[in-house]
Amino acid sequence: MIQVAGKQLPWHEGMTVSELLNELNDPHPYAVVRINERYVSRPNFEQTIIPDDAEVFLIPLIAGG
Amino acid sequence: MPNYDLKEVKALDYKRPDIVNGYSDQTLYLNLSDRKIAIKPVTEKTKKTFIGGKGYNLWLLWNAVQPSTKWNDPENALCIAAGPLGGTPIYPGSGKSIVATLSPTTASVMDSNVGGYFGPYLKFSGFDALEIQGKNAKEVVVFIDGVNQKIKIYETSGLPQNAYELSAVLTEHFAQGKPRNISVVSAGPGAKNTLIGCLNFTWYDAKRKRARYKQAGRGGVGTVFADKGLKAIVACWNNVTAETNNPADKARLKNVAKLHSREIVDLDPKQNEMAKICTTHLVTIMNDHDLLPTHNFRYGQHPQAPNLGQEVYRHLFDPGFDGCWMGCTVACSHGIKDFVPLTGPYKGKKVFVDGPEYETIAGCGSNLGIFDPHTVAEMNFYCDAYGLDTISVGTGIAFVMECFEMGLINETHTGGPALHFGNRLGALELVHQMANAEGFGQIVGQGVRKMKAIFAKDFGADPNIMQDIGMEAKGLEFSEYMTKESLAQQGGYGLALKGPQHDEAWLIFLDMVHNFMPTFDQKAEALHWFPMFRTWFGLCGLCKLPWNDIIPEDNKDAAEPAKVIKHVQWYADYFSAITGNEVGPDDLIKMSETVYNFQRLFNLRMGFGRRRHDDIPYRAVGPVTEDEYESRTERYDNQLVKTYKVDIDGKSTAEKMATLRKHREGQYEKLKDAVYKRRGWTSDGIPTRKTAKRLGIDFTEVIELLKANGVNS
Repeated sequence: MIQVAGKQLPWHEGMTVSELLNELNDPHPYAVVRINERYVSRPNFEQTIIPDDAEVFLIPLIAGG
Repeated sequence: MPNYDLKEVKALDYKRPDIVNGYSDQTLYLNLSDRKIAIKPVTEKTKKTFIGGKGYNLWLLWNAVQPSTKWNDPENALCIAAGPLGGTPIYPGSGKSIVATLSPTTASVMDSNVGGYFGPYLKFSGFDALEIQGKNAKEVVVFIDGVNQKIKIYETSGLPQNAYELSAVLTEHFAQGKPRNISVVSAGPGAKNTLIGCLNFTWYDAKRKRARYKQAGRGGVGTVFADKGLKAIVACWNNVTAETNNPADKARLKNVAKLHSREIVDLDPKQNEMAKICTTHLVTIMNDHDLLPTHNFRYGQHPQAPNLGQEVYRHLFDPGFDGCWMGCTVACSHGIKDFVPLTGPYKGKKVFVDGPEYETIAGCGSNLGIFDPHTVAEMNFYCDAYGLDTISVGTGIAFVMECFEMGLINETHTGGPALHFGNRLGALELVHQMANAEGFGQIVGQGVRKMKAIFAKDFGADPNIMQDIGMEAKGLEFSEYMTKESLAQQGGYGLALKGPQHDEAWLIFLDMVHNFMPTFDQKAEALHWFPMFRTWFGLCGLCKLPWNDIIPEDNKDAAEPAKVIKHVQWYADYFSAITGNEVGPDDLIKMSETVYNFQRLFNLRMGFGRRRHDDIPYRAVGPVTEDEYESRTERYDNQLVKTYKVDIDGKSTAEKMATLRKHREGQYEKLKDAVYKRRGWTSDGIPTRKTAKRLGIDFTEVIELLKANGVNS
């Protein structure tokens, strides 16, 4: 299981960030997520694998300086 | 403890007025030439038109200087103000001070905002703003003692030169056992010996038992301070509560403050963890999106960038509460404890580094081809202690390094060092040279615009290529974001009133990553709304981070998520609760629009503020060198073919670059047209008489100024 935005979700081996976002069916155009303490940006969503027991935070907007 | 002397040379007893609805309704005036101390009332018209903070500063400065005034003339005024909401301890981010003066690098109006306790303490001592003119031959310390209702000027000798020690010594000297009551503003030797000096504003960190500081960095405000003979300004105040501002509606204030404060406590851990890592999370995010400047803004990405990311600084920062204002739940002012520099006067000694934040990491790290977090920390420490702006230092040295690699300058000019990208000791040595007025650092400390002229005149360097790669506009060095692929952010930098600083508009993600504003009209609308709303924080004494760096969970469902309208409404409530003037979100924009247009007119009065002054170097727009183009050939080729319908078959890189440049520069000019129209300006970038009238700034002097510049309607 992983925790995503405070909710428990099933996890599977090799699960990528892209797969997770597709499963969430959330239309918001997330550009960044945080897996535990690691930030992952959209260009790396497809190749970033989420580990089991991870906590995933959906970063709503990057507002900058 | 150094053996120093503070000799009182002038004093004024005064009666502190009550703060009413966030205002003291008076300002403090000092003239260091004749040691005049005076207290000036604020008129109702000034209050209504300029609101406070930066607005007050601009009005004081406008009346202090003439179009012919230079930055180092005695009549140039250095103004510092909080704002009507400044000093509220229960609302996050309410401790900002705004500094304004004529800049040594732009020759026009500069403003820079900063945390620390000074602005609120100044106001609670009885002054909405401080205006300092004149110069003193000997170094002076000004003491604003709000507790005992005295203003004192001291001539000094023997005090430490650098801000790191000076802040500690003066805090202890004036604290009388209560260091939290003291805030010190100081510069340092770097500010004195360069044109890119910053100001350090302190607050007292009770847990670590030390004076810490934030910086008003941009445009040489510290250099003006030092040139006036100011060693430091010290404010003393005690007992700050939610009622010190005497809000019009205490219950409403407490309600909205609680909403915002609790939301940050709840959501920051789920979002960007500002309370743990501040803005360091941006390093890898920018790098991933090709937006992190590396090697003088040539590229936006580097494989070693994670060495400078939050995963590293998370472990370097000393854990604990780090708010630069009382009660701020963003609490993002992190630092490194027991850092041991490898160079300079603190070599081998343990020091506390205040920072670094994203701008310093990118400016003094990746943009110099330096990917060592300890070198960045050391640059950060010495820039602060010497009173140097880390952004101008970073962008300035990046320019030097590229000139060196291009062969435009060589070891003869640098005094020996081969200033390649990545030369960590070379970069640090330049910082020490700037502080000590030694060697090549003396030239680097003049800033990029003057370096370009010196390199061309004295070293025979090609002025055209330096114009393309020298990352300054209006005389101010760019802050640290890549803009090549975001036309809106090119405007965010180029159309900013003081020069390319991102505090007016940060639109890169909205424009480039999300493509939320594909048309010129949409970009122009964004380049109207965002600069106006961001300006409002500077009028009121607020930090912008609570607005859009911690975001409500339901914000994504809003019509325009980027505006974070729920928070804008909270700010309108906050303003209404303190001042008693009932306002809504649109009123906040109108307040800013007035001051914003006035600042543009001020630029015009000083000989700037026209279309040509909004030009930016081509490095900010597109690839200057063949290496840059060929590193992202697919991107540029695609744009030529698909967007501009150019047949590139058989074209050389140089030919394609020339065509791309023509198109991209044309786009930037079209953007200017759209933004000027949206803002109610002429095609030359001047506010029309109609705009000035609508905003209530059609003073006689303004109308005459417009008439003199051919604007009659």
